[in-house]
Amino acid sequence: MRIAVAFKAVPDSQDVQVAADRTLDFSKAKLAISEYDKNAIELGAQLADEAVAVTVGGSDIDNSKLKKDVLARGMARLCMAADDALAGLDAHATAAALADVIAKAGDVDMVLCGDGSADDYAQQVDVQLAEKLGWPVVTAAAKVEVSGSTAVIVRALEECKETVEVELPAVVSVTPDAAEPRIPGMKDILAAGKKPMEVSGADGSYERVLDTVECLAPEQAARKQEIVDAADDGAVEKLAAAIKAAL
Amino acid sequence: MDFALTDEQQLLLESVDEFCERYFTEDVVKQMYETHCMPDEIVEAYRDAGFGLMGIPEEYGGIPADRVTIGLMIERLYHKSGCMHILYQNSLSMFDIMEFGTEAQKQEAMEHYLETGWPIASLSISEPGAGSDNRSMTAVTKKQEDGTYKLSGQKTWVTMGSVLPYTIVVAKDEDPSSDNGSMSLWLVKMDTPGVSTAPLHKIGQQCIPFCEVYFDDVVLTEEQRMGNSGEGFMMLMKNFEVERAYIVAEQVGLAQAALEDAAKYANQRIAFGKPITRLQMIQELLCDMEIKVQNTRNMLYRTLWMMDEGQPVQLESAMLKRYGCSECFNVANDALEVYAGLGYTTEVRIGRLWADMRGNMFGGGTHEIMAYIAGRQVAKKYAE
Repeated sequence: MRIAVAFKAVPDSQDVQVAADRTLDFSKAKLAISEYDKNAIELGAQLADEAVAVTVGGSDIDNSKLKKDVLARGMARLCMAADDALAGLDAHATAAALADVIAKAGDVDMVLCGDGSADDYAQQVDVQLAEKLGWPVVTAAAKVEVSGSTAVIVRALEECKETVEVELPAVVSVTPDAAEPRIPGMKDILAAGKKPMEVSGADGSYERVLDTVECLAPEQAARKQEIVDAADDGAVEKLAAAIKAAL
Repeated sequence: MDFALTDEQQLLLESVDEFCERYFTEDVVKQMYETHCMPDEIVEAYRDAGFGLMGIPEEYGGIPADRVTIGLMIERLYHKSGCMHILYQNSLSMFDIMEFGTEAQKQEAMEHYLETGWPIASLSISEPGAGSDNRSMTAVTKKQEDGTYKLSGQKTWVTMGSVLPYTIVVAKDEDPSSDNGSMSLWLVKMDTPGVSTAPLHKIGQQCIPFCEVYFDDVVLTEEQRMGNSGEGFMMLMKNFEVERAYIVAEQVGLAQAALEDAAKYANQRIAFGKPITRLQMIQELLCDMEIKVQNTRNMLYRTLWMMDEGQPVQLESAMLKRYGCSECFNVANDALEVYAGLGYTTEVRIGRLWADMRGNMFGGGTHEIMAYIAGRQVAKKYAE
């Protein structure tokens, strides 16, 4: 079975800086595999005879370390479209661009996605990709078992677990419980650079339907630095009163 | 001069980060110090990630890695785990077996490691009356008429000696007197009749058990010998230089953890209405701590690079051990100063790091013996 695993290269959240006006500065942030996609990558590596990593993004995703990182996590090869025309796409355009990359990757029986991207977390690409491909989609997959041309999937819903059966090919997005990401060892890392990497440009222009008006960090409250000395009489009451006042 | 890391080195460090984040939780570390051991789950995960196979020859299932890369891995492992555990030291005896062992010994050692994640042997070198003064060693083997040997003597500070199935013993050949410099290495099974141990208790590094080992007329066969007869101490000496550098890699990783803890705490701790990082005496402490860490790191990677280039490092490795282990301990001491009273409690980990790092000033050769080794080299270097 051949599985394509879609992943997103996102700015490493540790390197994102918040300016005084609450805008986000990504200029020093290195690109990394979106955290939730690592679960999909691991599940793909476990289920597939051949797992192909697929992604789209700006030309900066054609980054040797990023490519080796994904290939060190059990992927047999990588297909990416890296083009500045594909930078900052919304979910609609991303799904269309991914569908083109998947078509170039060859026949696949399943596309796995993460729960949502670590930056936008829109949880939209999986369903829109399925629509583009004309395939069924199963979201919130916590367990996936493949038998012949069908997959039995346990979905983790808010108050219950639902088991569904789906004909393949299908798009499946997984929860973090689906598979614990492996820790790539030195052997995996050394082997990654020798695996096939197919990097192409944009196949066309992809329509964006969403405009981001503003992206701001939450407001920060300054610390009041009120210190209650535990040795004082009524210290507990003072602390409780301060907490109530703050709430 | 290029200080940049390769993609592979950066990815390796990220893997070490993931490993530490997943396995060295606060509760697990606390449990390790209370029970004086490490959970098998961590040892197995370390083996599975291949960290412990780095530097072991590929034909035995190892992974090729230069010393700079191994040093980077060790530093990050101790920085991110924030405790002085056994994982890296495990590899030292494996390196000795791979370099000096017989084919059968190498095969058995690798099978054991791949099955359990633990090395097959501890190292029995120091004696109560002989550490760096190796000529004073009295453990001795004497050849018997039937071709076997009898080993007698006592070894001390044997890390994991009572836990691992074998120990590598350096013992004098035939004559225990200080006139005799002929020593050999032996791979001794710990359940052999005549071998016994007694635990030793430390003031730091409590998650690494160590003990005394007694050999009372232990019968050895020629197959248990490692390397050539009479060259035992020279063989160990050969690996001492890289071992000293790796101890410093552990130490600088721990110092980085102490520095980060202290700086974070100083940013939060309010005194006289402001964070104490705005007080110049605290700024001076933090500045000097950073200098000590960066200096040690620069000396460490230059020394490892020289080894990778095949250059002699007798002077550099001794200076590195002397400077790095003491100055990194001073970083922990300064971190304790920043924490003040809180640092002297077990509420924070800085006291534990402080005690752990003091021990690394002895392991691999004392601060003083490093001056003895390096000082002679410096005199020779500038002799007219």
